[in-house]
Amino acid sequence: MMRRKKVPVPPALRWLAVVAVAAALPAFSQAGSPATMPAEPAARPQPVEYRDELGRRVVLRGTPQRIVSLAPSITETLFALNLRERVAGVTNYCDYPAEALTRPRVGGPINPDLEQIVSLHPDLVVATRSLNRQETVTALERLGVAVYTTDPRTVEEVVASTRRLGKLLGADARGEELAATLEERLADLAHRLAGHAPRRVFFVVWTDPIISTGPHTFLADALRHAGAESVVTTDQDWPHINIEEVLRQNPEYLVFSGTHPEDPQTLIAGLRKRAGWSSLEAVRAGHFAIVSDALSRPAPRIVDAIEDLARQLHPDLFPPPPTPAATPPSSRGGTR
Amino acid sequence: MIRPLTPRRLLLTCAGLGGILLLVVFFSLKFGTRSISVTDLAVFLFRTATGRGDTAASDFRLIILDIRWPRILLAMIVGAALSVAGASFQALLRNPLADPYVLGVSSGAGLGSILTLIWAAEMPAATPFGAFAGAVLATSAVYLLGQRGGDLDSYALLLGGIITASFLSALIMFLMTTISGRELRGMAFWLMGDLSTPSPVPAGWLVLVLVLGSGAIYTTAADLNLLLSGEQEAMHLGVDVGRVKIVVYLGASVLTGLAVSVSGAVGYVGLMVPHLVRLLFGSDYRLLLPATALGGAIVVVLADTLARTVVAPTQLPVGAMTALVGAPVFIYLLRRRIA
Repeated sequence: MMRRKKVPVPPALRWLAVVAVAAALPAFSQAGSPATMPAEPAARPQPVEYRDELGRRVVLRGTPQRIVSLAPSITETLFALNLRERVAGVTNYCDYPAEALTRPRVGGPINPDLEQIVSLHPDLVVATRSLNRQETVTALERLGVAVYTTDPRTVEEVVASTRRLGKLLGADARGEELAATLEERLADLAHRLAGHAPRRVFFVVWTDPIISTGPHTFLADALRHAGAESVVTTDQDWPHINIEEVLRQNPEYLVFSGTHPEDPQTLIAGLRKRAGWSSLEAVRAGHFAIVSDALSRPAPRIVDAIEDLARQLHPDLFPPPPTPAATPPSSRGGTR
Repeated sequence: MIRPLTPRRLLLTCAGLGGILLLVVFFSLKFGTRSISVTDLAVFLFRTATGRGDTAASDFRLIILDIRWPRILLAMIVGAALSVAGASFQALLRNPLADPYVLGVSSGAGLGSILTLIWAAEMPAATPFGAFAGAVLATSAVYLLGQRGGDLDSYALLLGGIITASFLSALIMFLMTTISGRELRGMAFWLMGDLSTPSPVPAGWLVLVLVLGSGAIYTTAADLNLLLSGEQEAMHLGVDVGRVKIVVYLGASVLTGLAVSVSGAVGYVGLMVPHLVRLLFGSDYRLLLPATALGGAIVVVLADTLARTVVAPTQLPVGAMTALVGAPVFIYLLRRRIA
């Protein structure tokens, strides 16, 4: 090939190739292999292998002392297990208990800041399948960080998951005690509601557009425990529902959950004035049940919300509500 | 700007852009949630390069080499691939508005990825192939829609692209709302363009595909220059138009599939970068293609650095950043040129 003057192609190609190969070299060498950690000091405890709720291997050396939580429900569970001083990092949405707000933030559950997590030197990161992404877990493990993933899909599994987490974190006694109390309260409630037809409810996740919950979510399971049955029957988890369909199903109660009780109140005031909604029997009769957002978090506090909802839907099955001065039953969970 | 292209000018331009890229990469390595000083970083890089890097604190090493660098590498690959694909589509379709995003190729690749995530979730390496197949199918559809009387009509083509893009986006939305796979959760984020999760395919393979795809397109660079003045004219000048079209079309689809499979739909890069490069260095494809690859890498690394630091620890999608930063720069350069 003659290359005297006007054939600039080969040098450019070569240049491109050199840059590309130079850039790729480190990538080839580190691809796939986990980050190497420095040599272990002799005094460190032996590694012990655990399985998380997805069946993945989790190797721990001793009881984790610095734990990063990747979901509000995990943060609540850790505090409920009395492990507050071991919570080293939480997500931007971890707002309960209030002390969680004082912990370093690692970003949102879907897209946390890996750099921030690594900088906190956690010996364990706890994720949950319903909120976090598999990619995040893989990325953290590649960086040499142990990740334990929970996967509760029913209220019973929330309790079992809490007990298991207690064992993993060396809080066996507290986990056992907490789980036993929750089980007892759920059994109590089931006993009370036994033989009574469940209320047909429409759970309002969102109003514009109208989004409810499908029968396969743990939220639907929480509704069942509270003596309610969602009128929504679809395979989707978070279906968009037409107002016509809500009218056709004619639910006995509308159920709302929110962080602040005043949010659903303004929402309801607005719904009373809107075409469609205003002709719902539940709206005309004022059959609204408002519970805390704990109902949508798979953490021990969900039992508080379930009891609260059951009380609102079946007032005749419960003793008259306690006066504000008396101890409300919701404080038994020990999460406050 | 109608200076003739000499090997010297080509090398100088590429070396200059390469220097800027290195600088941008260095500062991208420096900035992040954890603050690292320029001297610390320089010392660390020097020691690592000379094989004495083990003295650094372990999480320092982890953050620079295992968190920031793979992400920067991915940003460079995506930026180069999208820009070269954009420049190629602009020549192939003889339309300055052509780019993988506008033409629906990104949506096609996105749909392909989602379908493989639904049907072959347990095979992570299947996603890039799904993205590639989607990109090729979308390009074919747009190409057919743009045909009128045996020739490519640029209005029909652009409209065809926009229609294909919105149709495929509608399909994606349909799948995302009806299918309850928990794996699709991050998809909304991914559709806006996101580099925060590492690629399932080792970066070395991505670089290989990038080099092969861009290299194939580069072999047609001189012909593309002629093709820009019209197919008939190019044919009269001895260009094998059919072969050039196939090579460029396949190459650009591979590059788009590559970029979308690892980063989702990062918009604007394929449109903006080739135009910027054209404004700065002229439109000779022999220079435009390598300069565009380097420019794309620079732009996406910059955008992703901003995306992960502006509101840290919360991470923004890089696609939002490329549009936010890119569009004003583009408008400024365009107006300055008109003035």
